[in-house]
Amino acid sequence: MLLVLSVEHRAHLGCLPRAGDAAVGELGRLALEQLRRGAAPRACESAARKLNISVDIIQHGVEGLVYLLTESSKLMISEADFQDSINVLGFSDELNKSLLQLYLDNRKEIRSILGELAPRLPSYHSLEWRLDVQLASRSLRQQIKPAVTMKLHLNENEDRTAQVLQTDPATLLHLIQQLEQALGEMKMNHCRRIVRNMK
Amino acid sequence: QRFRFCGDLDCPDWVLAEISTLAKISSVKLKLICAQVLRDLLGEPIEYDKILKLTSDAKLESGDVKATIAVLGFILSSAAKHNVDSESLSSELQQLGLPKAEHASGLCRSYEEKQSPLQDRLRACSLRLSQLGSVRWRVDYTLSSSELQEVNEPVVHLTFNMRDRECEKMTAIPVTLSANKFWVLLAGEALRGVAV
Repeated sequence: MLLVLSVEHRAHLGCLPRAGDAAVGELGRLALEQLRRGAAPRACESAARKLNISVDIIQHGVEGLVYLLTESSKLMISEADFQDSINVLGFSDELNKSLLQLYLDNRKEIRSILGELAPRLPSYHSLEWRLDVQLASRSLRQQIKPAVTMKLHLNENEDRTAQVLQTDPATLLHLIQQLEQALGEMKMNHCRRIVRNMK
Repeated sequence: QRFRFCGDLDCPDWVLAEISTLAKISSVKLKLICAQVLRDLLGEPIEYDKILKLTSDAKLESGDVKATIAVLGFILSSAAKHNVDSESLSSELQQLGLPKAEHASGLCRSYEEKQSPLQDRLRACSLRLSQLGSVRWRVDYTLSSSELQEVNEPVVHLTFNMRDRECEKMTAIPVTLSANKFWVLLAGEALRGVAV
């Protein structure tokens, strides 16, 4: 699968041959730092001063590299495809080789970073429970009414939320039975076949 | 095999596995580590450096140190939860393979000393949805209003301060009642002959 680079993207990456080979290493490093930690304008400024190129061009070059790396890692394109895709830029062989090396060395890490960007549902943190028996109320004396009160703690995008639930023991047993049936589904042939094929 | 300190259920596999790690530590040091774990269970800060120093002789890796703290925490809090006396705990730990002479008895002695405070602390940590902090009140006397020139009625203002356990926040809930409604709240029934 080939990457299609837009005209703007090509223009941004066009600064790379001008910068020279050593600079490409520096820009690659900046691009990876931006992927790991976010944009760092100060680092770009100091790189611009060192290489004697304007800050804008450095910034565009870094962003172009970031986009090239993330798109290639996202689609997990092969070496040959990557080389064909960047051939259109008309860079020197050495530059093409260093870009390929940059891609191959870092694509696993980039894929793991991209994996964390997917939206997340609230996930389980802990469950507190309590068993009470209601003995009397204002309306009715001398009762026996058991109830299970639960507080479900969830992790939602680094926030902690809690949900309070209350049920009687019979409903709780039914709930447990439903959940066990759901787990039991994993042992059926259909699920087993799919899990085997995915491994 | 069922154990009382596990709530009459089987002992979890990871606890069985870590008993052998506990046996590697000398009994004197085990008692001191127990004291630290009890401090943590009672809500005081744990001194991890001291535990690291105590386990350095037994040459435990950092994973083993954490496992030791976890298994001691489980044994002590589970025994307190199911109200197990220290002799039963000692015999059950010996059945799991903890050497009697010093390890099991030392552990159970530490447990016995702190059993009541531990149970009190566990009781306080039990699930509670909200807690009443305090109640403030004020009685006003309404002289007159835009509706009626001579009102001459007492009015009770109550503020319930509720404490939320998680965020340590106090929420104030104000309630205003007429005198007759306040009687209903207090006595459960209206004053004879008065419409509410």
